Amino acid sequence: MSYVVLIPLLPALAFAVMVVMSNRIRNSALWVSIGAMAGSLALSLYAFTRVWPGGEEPVWSSTFALADIGGKPLEIGMRLDGISAIMLLVVTIVGLCVQVYSLGYMHKDRRKGWYFAVLSLFSAAMLMLVLAGDFLLLYMSWEIMGLCSFLLIGFWHEQAGPRAAAIKAFLTTRVGDVGFAIGLAVMWATAHTFSIHEVSVFEWARYPAAALAVALLLFFGAMGKSAQVPLHVWLPDAMAGPTPASALIHAATMVAAGVYLVIRAMPIFEEASAAGLHTVMIIGVTTALVGGLLAVVQYDIKKILAYSTISQLGFMFVALGTGNTVAALFHLVTHAFFKSLLFLGAGVIIHATHTQDIREMGGLRKAMPWTTGVFTVGALALAGLPGLSGFFSKDEILVSILHVEGDLYSMGVRWLLIGLMLFAAGLTAFYMTRLWIRVFGDNACSLAHEGHLNMLVPMVVLASITVVIGWTQPVFMQFLGEHGAWPDPLMAGLSVAVFAVGVGGGYLIYGRQLLDRDKLRGRFYRLYGALKNGFYFDWTYNGFIVRPFFIVAEWLSTFDAQRIDGAVNGVASGWSRLSDTMWVGDVKIIDGAVNGLGRLVTRSGARMRKLQGGRVQSYQRLAYAGLIAILVVIALAAWLTNVVVPMLRGA
Amino acid sequence: MTVGPSAFMALAALLFCIGLFGALSKKSAVMVLMCLELMTNGVNLNLVAISRFVTPESLAGQFTAAFIMVVAAAEIGLGLALVLALYRRTRTIELDRLDELKG
Repeated sequence: MSYVVLIPLLPALAFAVMVVMSNRIRNSALWVSIGAMAGSLALSLYAFTRVWPGGEEPVWSSTFALADIGGKPLEIGMRLDGISAIMLLVVTIVGLCVQVYSLGYMHKDRRKGWYFAVLSLFSAAMLMLVLAGDFLLLYMSWEIMGLCSFLLIGFWHEQAGPRAAAIKAFLTTRVGDVGFAIGLAVMWATAHTFSIHEVSVFEWARYPAAALAVALLLFFGAMGKSAQVPLHVWLPDAMAGPTPASALIHAATMVAAGVYLVIRAMPIFEEASAAGLHTVMIIGVTTALVGGLLAVVQYDIKKILAYSTISQLGFMFVALGTGNTVAALFHLVTHAFFKSLLFLGAGVIIHATHTQDIREMGGLRKAMPWTTGVFTVGALALAGLPGLSGFFSKDEILVSILHVEGDLYSMGVRWLLIGLMLFAAGLTAFYMTRLWIRVFGDNACSLAHEGHLNMLVPMVVLASITVVIGWTQPVFMQFLGEHGAWPDPLMAGLSVAVFAVGVGGGYLIYGRQLLDRDKLRGRFYRLYGALKNGFYFDWTYNGFIVRPFFIVAEWLSTFDAQRIDGAVNGVASGWSRLSDTMWVGDVKIIDGAVNGLGRLVTRSGARMRKLQGGRVQSYQRLAYAGLIAILVVIALAAWLTNVVVPMLRGA
Repeated sequence: MTVGPSAFMALAALLFCIGLFGALSKKSAVMVLMCLELMTNGVNLNLVAISRFVTPESLAGQFTAAFIMVVAAAEIGLGLALVLALYRRTRTIELDRLDELKG
């Protein structure tokens, strides 16, 4: 067994150990989970050094035959290559930071042991996902992550909000997962394999329809998991879960699994018709814009970050839409670090102020200098300040749009797309400025206090990575087998300009209060209403899916109660009545016959008994009566033969 | 007037019927035994009379009657012994009370 297997196995074992403990013991055994995570991190670092200096070929792979279907072996397997190694590091670093942070954040919760256990299971599934050598194992891990997401969103299931959010998230992602599952079926039917390697070398061009179907169905699964429009509605609600869990699952890792899936499935997209990648592109651009616009009007700090995550995931899918997996992965990595940092910062703020509404916050920079510092680093990285990681990865995406090839992409279309993405990037800078000013800037008095040390240290670690990682861009690209390059000067210039406009606009509106926001809201009340209602996605789903579902369900329930139950009860009562009738018949006829026979025998016996009087003279009397009877018969016979018959003959 | 065989046979039948009536109706076992003797004698009378009138040259009927008398004597001796034994056991010879074989 290779050490690679241990990477997902350690957290899985931690979960297995913790899940059998009693709640009380589990609450004091959090180090099991953290220890396993630290072990996975160490092994992931070792794995990274083994993969170094990178390349596309896997350095280790292993398969295990599950079954044999129609002569084709059904195998699951694991493989370690450059993409896996990078994802392993992201998952384990963010995972460990979140777990250490959770020690402080959750220390008063009476079910923190269970929380850590689920985090471990989640980490195991995510690590398994990035090590999966085939789409089947990937899908299994994918579903386990969905379960963990459900459990963690609904962690405070005593309250109605988290409960509903958990169900919503589970069902919405399930819609995508169905697409994924069907896609796998089509994949098997066409290529007879799930292996990532074999799928990548399969001649998909010979089956254009199947290739497009697989590509779009897998992408549909990715849309559910990665919260792409129109399946994004679950992610903002998912913020009902504990904040560190949101940081890990709903910002850094799980939601990026969709991006990872498309990266792995990219050979199919490339061989299929261009419609596949065009769909990815359109969905990505739409999501980036929708997420960015909706983030502007939110007041809940976590929802702002959630919509921001949706928007950034849209950026990654735009990169994938151009076929540039490296740019997507790079943005995934940088985003994972700075967004989890922002969520952890938001967690400290929520912990300190006991509210999530940014209107009730303010002036926190004096009370919480460390948090302010690291949060600012994260916010600037997200907004795209040159030198921080977000700037590099967004720039890479813009460059890949500029160089994208295809019939559809004329120069005008490319610049339209770049313009839209720059607008989305500007929105990012704008809403992060708004958030920062609301939370830290105003001079409102606050009694908030700085977070605990084990909450600050992970944030500082993540902030340091956020500062550094952007500069690794050329190395990163070489590691994945691409030509390393620094940002394109033209795009970098545009990015900086957009960043300046976004931050400046935010500062003027929210910091200097140059514009009367109420008047703005009044003038654009239609737009504002649409944004406030999240472009009516929830409203549409409720009206066209959820409510009809409930109506049908209610109708079916009534039908069930009245018709089905009625029929069943009717049959039962019919049987009961029939049985009553049969019972009467049984008693009267069958029993009557048996009893009657018995009684007849008893009575005749009683009569006959009197004959056996034991008196010798009565026997004698009978004997003589019998004798006389015999004599009479003989005499009669003699009379008949001798007298009557001759008389008749004679006559 | 000659006495014909029918007179003997009528007497024999009368004797038999008296004996039969007694055997069927008397309470005492001794009386029943006596009545049985009476019936036997009725039969004997028939035998002797029929033998005398039908086959006068043969004495078969008379001999048979003599045999029957001997057997009847032995029988009555045995019967009286039984009645005595019965009396010792049950202190009664009334046949109506001797119904231990009642079913």
